[in-house]
Amino acid sequence: MSKCKFPKAVRALLSENKIEEQDILAASGTDMNTECEYADGFVVLTSKKLAVVTSAPDKNEVHSFKGYQSRIKEELEEIDRPWACRIYELDRLDKLHAEALVACSVLVADVDGTALRLTVFSNLYKRDIHNVVRTVDRLKNPSPMGVEEAGKGPERDKKDDEYCPVCGMMYPDKTRKVCPRCMDRKSIFRRVLGYFKPYIGKIIVMLLACFATAGLNLVWPYLNGKILYDQVLEKNNEFLARFGIEDGRFVTGLLLVVLTMLMARITIAILYVIHSIFTARIVTCVVRDMKKSIFEQMGKLSISFFRSKQTGSLMTRVMSDAERITGFFIDGVPNTIINSLTLIVSLVMMFSLNWQMASFVIFVIPAVMYIGLKLRPKIWTMFGRRHRAERSVNSQVNDNLTGARVVKAFGQESRETERFDKNNNRLRTAEMGIVVTQNKVRGAYSVIYEVLNICVYIVGVYMILVKHEIELGTLITFTGYVGQLQGPINFFSRIFHWWADSMNSAQRMFEIIDSIPEIQEAENPVSMPSPKGKIELQNVSFGYEVNRPVLKELNLEIKEGSMLGIVGRSGAGKTTLVNLISRMYDPQEGKILIDGVDVKDIAFKDLRRNVAMVSQETYIFMGTVEENIAYANPDASHEDVIRAAKLASAHEFIMRMPDGYNTRIGSSGRELSGGEKQRISIARAILSNPRILILDEATASVDTETERAIQRSISYLVKGRTTISIAHRLSTLKDADYLVVIDNGRITERGTHKELEEQRGTYFKLMELQRKALALKE
Amino acid sequence: MPGKKDMSGFDDDFNLEQMEKETEEMLKMRYLDKNNAVFEATEGGFVSLKTGDEEYSRVQVVRMFPFTDPDHFISIRTSDEISKEIGIIKNIKDLPKETAKLLENQMNLRYFTPVITKINNIKDEYGYAYFDVVTDRGACRFTINMGGSSVVHLSDTRILISDVDENRFEIPDIMKLSANERKKLDLFL
Repeated sequence: MSKCKFPKAVRALLSENKIEEQDILAASGTDMNTECEYADGFVVLTSKKLAVVTSAPDKNEVHSFKGYQSRIKEELEEIDRPWACRIYELDRLDKLHAEALVACSVLVADVDGTALRLTVFSNLYKRDIHNVVRTVDRLKNPSPMGVEEAGKGPERDKKDDEYCPVCGMMYPDKTRKVCPRCMDRKSIFRRVLGYFKPYIGKIIVMLLACFATAGLNLVWPYLNGKILYDQVLEKNNEFLARFGIEDGRFVTGLLLVVLTMLMARITIAILYVIHSIFTARIVTCVVRDMKKSIFEQMGKLSISFFRSKQTGSLMTRVMSDAERITGFFIDGVPNTIINSLTLIVSLVMMFSLNWQMASFVIFVIPAVMYIGLKLRPKIWTMFGRRHRAERSVNSQVNDNLTGARVVKAFGQESRETERFDKNNNRLRTAEMGIVVTQNKVRGAYSVIYEVLNICVYIVGVYMILVKHEIELGTLITFTGYVGQLQGPINFFSRIFHWWADSMNSAQRMFEIIDSIPEIQEAENPVSMPSPKGKIELQNVSFGYEVNRPVLKELNLEIKEGSMLGIVGRSGAGKTTLVNLISRMYDPQEGKILIDGVDVKDIAFKDLRRNVAMVSQETYIFMGTVEENIAYANPDASHEDVIRAAKLASAHEFIMRMPDGYNTRIGSSGRELSGGEKQRISIARAILSNPRILILDEATASVDTETERAIQRSISYLVKGRTTISIAHRLSTLKDADYLVVIDNGRITERGTHKELEEQRGTYFKLMELQRKALALKE
Repeated sequence: MPGKKDMSGFDDDFNLEQMEKETEEMLKMRYLDKNNAVFEATEGGFVSLKTGDEEYSRVQVVRMFPFTDPDHFISIRTSDEISKEIGIIKNIKDLPKETAKLLENQMNLRYFTPVITKINNIKDEYGYAYFDVVTDRGACRFTINMGGSSVVHLSDTRILISDVDENRFEIPDIMKLSANERKKLDLFL
């Protein structure tokens, strides 16, 4: 029933007040007092009373918010502190509600007629308190569905506020039930690998090229040093004999070695080309696939997803993420293998050549790596800073491009340039910082490397000249291998961050791919190819945020084939209402039925086909006029398109454009006026031939004359369809069979034109006002 | 004005006048000060207002510029759903001390925002940042979303942080934090 757990002391206190756990209908924690201090408390509801439990603030307590341990309230179990309890009989309590302040809320009620602050809570408990408040509402005003519903409280979304069963962390995002902390990086890794699977053939070729290059690179110092100097140039006959060359023919031997060396170089070059070509092929394919799956998923997500995130930045981020992930996999993974091999083989070779010098080298490696690891985090934050600077430059450019007209109209170009300069300079500074630090690192590296090299030479020369322990070729080979170490050392100091970065990107990508659309099709959807079009709203409540309801317990019935007009001031909830009918959002409470079937159960395909909306925000896609009109119905004949355009009064202006129905419109084409766009959208809706037509301020930006023309076609159109029309201009609604006035999320007036006129309420007032305005014009 | 007298004998002109009056009312800046307004604490913890012959058993006290000018331009509004403006206090300091305190108490709760005094740790993981801080209201641990606009720069040195539930935290001057703490915050600056 309630997931609230009480400390022992509170349980005892409640039972002193005759509240037993089984009587509790709803409960919530609270965490503040009216003095703006954090103080633990509870609100507990039974069918008869409401108990408010409070305690004194404890300065030593750590206050944990969402995202931290489930510790919240549970650990309190053992904490003994003085709890106080106030009991309010529900009979004496009225208008219980949570008042949202800026970042916290107050629970307010009229007790014996006086408005009282019962308790204060942060947004952490917003949902739970809301649940308590709604339960009280249901107790006080039993819904027509029956009293037994009252105890249940609003259906709590199972997706909400769940904890990770492994580490006890709350999921920071309820749409994604994967604990970010427990999510196995290895599993992300494996999932990303999945994207590479289709290209396994290419990958094998690429890897072979990689390994071959690495192998040849390792052989190179040997050829260059040991063989060239110590065998051929030292005139070693034994060596020649091994290759079947006669004694003394050192020129032939030299030629052979040089040829081999040349071949090795050429092969390395060829392998490099092969490697590059295949890498490019694989990367582009995988990036494309990833982007495709992100785009696909984005299409599936509900409107609320796009409301809650900055879509633009999200999109760019994800798009560049795909590249970053792939980059690591294609460069990082094979390189890890190659570099480890190179490192091991080089070391082995060094030891086999000369252990004294080798042991000298082996001490330097950890030192070099340490410096690398130490400096990387700094570069890391610098990259982050650059990313943010880049983002602000980008968003400002975006802002100014969209608002170009306003900037020009108010003559603010120079100030915008200044603002841009500021951001741009920040980006420059960030960029410079990275380059400087990177160069410092690089500089330090090469100094260390050079010092190491020189030391090796000194030791080597000493060994050759003084001790005669080694030969020149050995030294050259050895330094060759020291040179081979440079790559792996550099690489390994970078790989950890690279790996983390790539995994983070991957995680962000999967975050979107795994998001569960809030609006989902029912498991066994009801097929409804041609509904009659009767719409019922039963006790529908909805808000974009908890605690701030936009629609409150609406009840409404729209008969099949009739036209409903909705009137109300802006922000009253009209658009929200129609959004619920077309299932852009689901109501938090109550039901919406079409032909007696809950819209939640209707198959998406049928719902979308039968409910068409012309909204106040018109959108024209890139493409031709014809494509735009036939958007929902690409197979429509030319005749159908023309008829729809005519009905929407769009035909004439379309024909005035040079390319007629083939004129390219949308963001890359010809610019249309607001009224023209609206008429195209109306034509689009007409062509989709829906059973239920929703017109949300569909004719708000056309002139009165055009509106009359569209009006006529709409009156022709609405025959046999259920139509819901929202309008500020009452003349638009003159064909409506039934009208409702919505104010503050409630239906305040309803009836036919005549009935509403007689009621002399808001509708009448609006009518008078518009009549006057028209009269003034005349 | 032709064609409007068919309205069942209703007196149009009176109605129009009333509407104009309402509009006028809406456009007017009505200032409240110690001479024309009496604020009092209510039993339930709210504030009541008497001004002229109007009486409100409960009013809301709302800042117009909560960040940049918290003491000036304070809107006094009705406490119902519509929340209509009753009047404006130009400068809260001009009110009697007691009254100013009363209103400030209301606003303190409305704009409740703990001030971060010390940053113990910030961990950035998988698109969320986990904060472990000390505020003037005690130690707090909260989580913010890295993707959105959770960290807002109110000025070059002042930042406002909103957690995943939109609980607010503020750092009035980042320069007052230690270099080490600023480094932890670096990600957001």
